[in-house]
Amino acid sequence: MEFIPHDDQTIIEMLRVIGVENINDLFRDIPKDLLIESLGLPTGLSEPDLSKKMKQLSELNHVYDSSFLGAGCYFHYIPSLVDFIINRSEFYTSYTPYQAEASQGYLQAIYEYQTIISRLTKMDIANASMYDGSTALAEAIIMASGVRQKTTILIIEGIHPEYINVIKTYCWGHGLNYKILRIEDLNLELSDDIAAVAFQSPNFFGEIQNIEKLVEKVRLKSPSCLIIQVMTDPTCLGLLKPPGDLDIDIFVAEGQSFGIPPSFGGPGLGIFTVKQKYLRKIPGRLVGKTKELFGDQEGFILTLQAREQHIRREKASSNICTNQALCSLSALVYLLSVGKSGLEEIAKQNFLKSNFLKKNLAKIPGYEIKSKNPTYNEFVIKCPNIDALIDECEKVNIMPPLKLTYYYPEMKNLALVCVTELNSFESIKVFLKAANTAINIGGVKDGF
Amino acid sequence: MDYNILDNLKYTQTHEWVKIEGMNAITGISDYAQHQLGDIVYIELPNIGETIEKGSSAGEIESVKAVGEFLMPLTGKVIQINNLLSENPEIVNQSPYDKGWLIKIEILNLKEENDLVSADEYKNIIEREDK
Repeated sequence: MEFIPHDDQTIIEMLRVIGVENINDLFRDIPKDLLIESLGLPTGLSEPDLSKKMKQLSELNHVYDSSFLGAGCYFHYIPSLVDFIINRSEFYTSYTPYQAEASQGYLQAIYEYQTIISRLTKMDIANASMYDGSTALAEAIIMASGVRQKTTILIIEGIHPEYINVIKTYCWGHGLNYKILRIEDLNLELSDDIAAVAFQSPNFFGEIQNIEKLVEKVRLKSPSCLIIQVMTDPTCLGLLKPPGDLDIDIFVAEGQSFGIPPSFGGPGLGIFTVKQKYLRKIPGRLVGKTKELFGDQEGFILTLQAREQHIRREKASSNICTNQALCSLSALVYLLSVGKSGLEEIAKQNFLKSNFLKKNLAKIPGYEIKSKNPTYNEFVIKCPNIDALIDECEKVNIMPPLKLTYYYPEMKNLALVCVTELNSFESIKVFLKAANTAINIGGVKDGF
Repeated sequence: MDYNILDNLKYTQTHEWVKIEGMNAITGISDYAQHQLGDIVYIELPNIGETIEKGSSAGEIESVKAVGEFLMPLTGKVIQINNLLSENPEIVNQSPYDKGWLIKIEILNLKEENDLVSADEYKNIIEREDK
């Protein structure tokens, strides 16, 4: 279907039928003092001049040779197949698929996304996606509270600090109570009054949690409590046990690592999966496969829509009525492109390369590994002088690791370092050299 | 539109029917209600043993286009629920007063029976609503 804008003659005709002189008359109910006279936009540019201007703007960007920064947003290789498919205008410009007969292609794509996510995580049901990892986690908490009819949530330390801020906002809006605690103190707080326990693994500091032990603890002390796991880099599923095998009730993740560039921290992809028994409580869209009424042809539709807020209104699990269609398509194409063995290889490289850097950093005097558990592709290291390390990284055009005081003022001289399959051994050597140089700069900063 | 209303039953303003059997009562939704909902696809009923107050939500009836709440016509303890409905919710559309009954309760406040309306009164309620 082509988009045909109105021409001047058509506009004049339509205004005449409506009975007004000009378009402004249609807005005459708006108080004059609220009308905007002009937007102050500059005059238009010709295409060559515009190209030049955009090029100048883009040159303000600094492009690093390699990155050691993670903390919830990751640099992974994006196969060219992803852009090739998502840039097709049928996908890129299409609107929400409420009219099934006109949206079979997109509905099939979403159905396949749901299927591949379900297979990867071994969770029974995956929805069509939420906005991002943080809101997926917040929605999981709201859903759990609705399922259990309880208003208190336990949050294990180590969830991404920005995700915790989002949870705080959602809890405030829904009148829920949350308690942040260490995993060791879980037994003291578990009771039948708890709606759910939420934890992140690998956590914000890169540490892989002992999930079996945590699940056992919860099931023993509070059998009807829901267990929610969140993950910020699901490429680790190429290596680690999937949540479906670990008795997780709700598994959510940030899907940006699956074929979506980091950009400026978005857009993201909220992966949302549940056990079969929660099917009717899951928020968001669900695409189903069905047969036509008179015939044998298969087709795809939005299903179980009575869960959603445009029908269930305030009784719905969520007010979301959309999904990250294009991002979920990117994730689908990414996963199909790398395949099972490809994802295993990617995960292995993340794991081996980051642990290689971790081990070799610890050999440099003044640097100390702070991660207690095994780590996937991120770890915490104590530096003799983190500002010097950051300076040295910048000098050799490396995006430096995260200074943890950015979120936790008491964590002085601690860096959260991320290494993915995109970090060549050459870049790791450059980073080690920068780390070495950094110890000879200045004295040890105040800290511990 | 002619909706089926059984004379031997009592009704509520919110389209539930009640059949009193001594100390117990069987409940369901009226023919008018099932017609308004459309094709019913899922029914959520309370657990046996639960005590639910008159007027409180005792379940949800989901159709392709809407979700309706089933409100308890009388305060009671749930002693039986219609197990056929989990696999075949369409029975409520086909036979709302007979095979499509929803909940059987032990009545806990006999005085509440006075708040229920007769078949004739219910006919008037529908006529007003259906305009």
